[in-house]
Amino acid sequence: MVQYIVRRLLWTIPVLLAIMTATFILAHAIPGGPFDFRGEKQLPESIRKNLERKYQLDKPVYVQLGKWIWDALRLDLGPSYTTRAQTVNDILKRTFPISFQLGLLALLLALCIGIPMGTIAAVKQNTVVDYGATFVAILGVSIPNMVLGPLLIWIFALKLGWFPAARWGTDYTQLHLGFFPPITSAKFWLHAILPAFTLGTAYSASIARLTRASLLQVIREDYIRTAYAKGLHSRRVIILHGLRNSLIPVATVLGPMFAAVVTGSMVVEQIFGIPGMGKYFVTSVTNRDYPLVMGATLMYSLLLVFANLLVDISYAWLDPRIRYD
Amino acid sequence: MKWSKIAVLAIVGLSLMVWPALAAKVVLNRNLGTEPPTADPALAEDTTSVEIIENMFLALVDMDEVDMHPIPELATSWDVSPDGLTWTFHMRNDVFWVKYDPKKGEVVYDLDADGKPRPVTAYDVEYGVKRTLDPNTGSNYAYVLYIIKGGEALNTADPGAPNFQELIDGVGVKALDAYTVQFTLEAPAGYFGQIASMWVARPQPKWAIDAYGDAWIEPENIVTNGPYAMKTWVHNDHMVFVKNPYIPAELWGGGNIDEVYAVMVVEASTEFAMYLNNELDTSGVPLPEMDRVKTDPVLSKELVIRPYPCTYYYGFIVTKPPMDKVAVRKALSMTIDRKTLIDQVTKGGQLPANTFAPGMIFGNAALDPRIAPWALPEELGGWGYDRAVTEAQQLMAQAGYPDGAGLEIVLMHNVSEGHARIAQAIQAMWAKAFPKAKFIIETQEWKVYLQTLVKTTPVENVPHVYRLGWCQDYPDENNWVHEVFNPTVGENKTRMSADDPEVGAAVAKFDELTRRAGRESDPEVRKQLYFEAERLLVDEIVAIAPIYYYTQVVLNKPWLQRRWHDTPHWDTWILDAAAKKKATG
Repeated sequence: MVQYIVRRLLWTIPVLLAIMTATFILAHAIPGGPFDFRGEKQLPESIRKNLERKYQLDKPVYVQLGKWIWDALRLDLGPSYTTRAQTVNDILKRTFPISFQLGLLALLLALCIGIPMGTIAAVKQNTVVDYGATFVAILGVSIPNMVLGPLLIWIFALKLGWFPAARWGTDYTQLHLGFFPPITSAKFWLHAILPAFTLGTAYSASIARLTRASLLQVIREDYIRTAYAKGLHSRRVIILHGLRNSLIPVATVLGPMFAAVVTGSMVVEQIFGIPGMGKYFVTSVTNRDYPLVMGATLMYSLLLVFANLLVDISYAWLDPRIRYD
Repeated sequence: MKWSKIAVLAIVGLSLMVWPALAAKVVLNRNLGTEPPTADPALAEDTTSVEIIENMFLALVDMDEVDMHPIPELATSWDVSPDGLTWTFHMRNDVFWVKYDPKKGEVVYDLDADGKPRPVTAYDVEYGVKRTLDPNTGSNYAYVLYIIKGGEALNTADPGAPNFQELIDGVGVKALDAYTVQFTLEAPAGYFGQIASMWVARPQPKWAIDAYGDAWIEPENIVTNGPYAMKTWVHNDHMVFVKNPYIPAELWGGGNIDEVYAVMVVEASTEFAMYLNNELDTSGVPLPEMDRVKTDPVLSKELVIRPYPCTYYYGFIVTKPPMDKVAVRKALSMTIDRKTLIDQVTKGGQLPANTFAPGMIFGNAALDPRIAPWALPEELGGWGYDRAVTEAQQLMAQAGYPDGAGLEIVLMHNVSEGHARIAQAIQAMWAKAFPKAKFIIETQEWKVYLQTLVKTTPVENVPHVYRLGWCQDYPDENNWVHEVFNPTVGENKTRMSADDPEVGAAVAKFDELTRRAGRESDPEVRKQLYFEAERLLVDEIVAIAPIYYYTQVVLNKPWLQRRWHDTPHWDTWILDAAAKKKATG
């Protein structure tokens, strides 16, 4: 197992280098550069040259790529072209913890709703409970965040007044160790509930559907019948023998889902005015802010690679038949 | 005296001392709409950055909010030499650099090495202008200072050049003494007062910039001199500004706001929800809510619609057939029903546009029916749409396209829901007026789109008609007809030229007019020259179809009284804290 993990970790190095090179090439291949225009006005040649010199965009492409990779290895992701007083490191350091908090809450919520709902639906297959759960799941998948968010704000903030309309309950100056939110603060939770629910709903729905489908297969397996034949209580059979095994497909999607959800959602963060990093995946591209495009993508790739590694390790625990030697 | 009396006196005395501390601060809750990209006057280019800079840094002059003429701010007076080349500003000596001290919890003087407050001087102005022009600063906006002698030479120089220091010293800005600064210009510019009010020409604190580099604008480092000082800047989340108690009374706008708590909510519907929830004192209106706000008994009273110095227009690529025919261009411009478009699609109370520059720009001819009367409805002295359509159909037939037969026009805009709605409405108007023509809408992503429109793109790759808007950099026609459309030195995306077989003479005239008007110093003569230039552009060359002048659509809580500037001046706003408390409980 240890050997396997070491091998996988070593493999991440070429993977990340390939991702970095590809992102660099793709970012620079988009037509238009970061300093061609100011608003709708084409910048004079002289101004563009000054800026390109300042950010070393006048150097040959391979020099820029080499510099970027070398700097990134030393954990320096470079300047941001759009917010010049902040580096990409500053931006990610300030926004990632917020996105992570929101994402993790949403994901936990999704699991807490999704797995029980899927399990019940599978156990009560083709009953009213199953249809009801499936209906809710489909509804959850189908309602886009940009509808659900404003709807929740309208009901729970404006009409009922239970929650604030928007914004996050903490900011990067108030985090413990620069990362952990003040979980004892009521303000934090009041601000977190609506966005976490908005973001989590769609995920909970897909987890529920996946759990149901997978569990339906598992409970027809011989060893489940054996467990029943031994006279085990049905709850014990389903939860201990069936569910654990049926979670393998769920764990598989959970890896990429985790990486995607903790790096922020542009839509949810924009609707609730949350200072997370989700928007940078979009705005950095439209602004041609190359270092930020590459920095955000690198962050996402790192998380994705490690989340997938954890998923692979978890297989061995979920299904003892899986061996990595 | 009895002990009880002494006690009463002591209590009264104590409470008098504590009273000012107990008096609640007047706090304005405002949404900036986005994280300001910068607070550095040399680098700002967007309205959000400009808004916070306007409230933290004073300029030599301010703009009158009604007719945009320069009025005193740091400079109490100024004189212009008879040849119009030398501008000398006489500054006041009672404005000081300040900063927020988090330990004391108040705004304090920024002290020099001797422990004395630093006044804002002419040297700070000279430094600020030179820093903006220094190519190492990399200011996007440096080119507006090219009118200053030696400005362009410095900004376009290689910082490694051996004569670089000479170029810096050669810039035509000089502090004659601590409170007199003199500008020497490349050419006479009647609009230099407007340039002197811009953020790029404001005094900048050399010692702070030298000490902290790019990070000098962070709240722990920044020193400012305007009505408000920066207390907090939590990036992407919120900023807090507090009143600068040391600003001379004459430069304070008469408002009562002690503290501005500014959030950065991007989503319009969320901003609106926060306004309804009393979390904001003022906000915009999302387009889908416009009808509801106008009919709502409460909200309609809080709604303010005011003109805003921007214009929305369609440009014609005049070298791409059939747009090379002036009759075709004119017929298309005439058949845009601007009034219906505003009432049914944009809904923000905009004004139909018959010229390029809107009403508050110096030298504008907006809504003057002597120019392109077909663009205006009857109640504004124009032809009205029915007559415009009839005449347009005749023009199109004369050009050889009766009912638009044989016409295929590509209209392009950048990807956006709002632009798409407008384009579809105009496509429908054109299709109705010229039923046999084919009108195709194409879209591109913003930066790709701008790249498509540059003059060097081959003509087969550009559309016939393109969408753009223009907002002022400074409120003068020079920034409009000249910088955007002058065929030789302006951007001129329409590609009109003096060689044009149909309108070449008019283009040459337009070229000459906008250059001459920029160098002219007599305001009345300038107005006449710009009037003629606007007429040529829209009515004779018909290089563009102006569509509407922008408006600013704002909701204000009844307890907030705002004075209107294009860039908000918070120091002129009055907030009735008692009324707010009463209404919000």
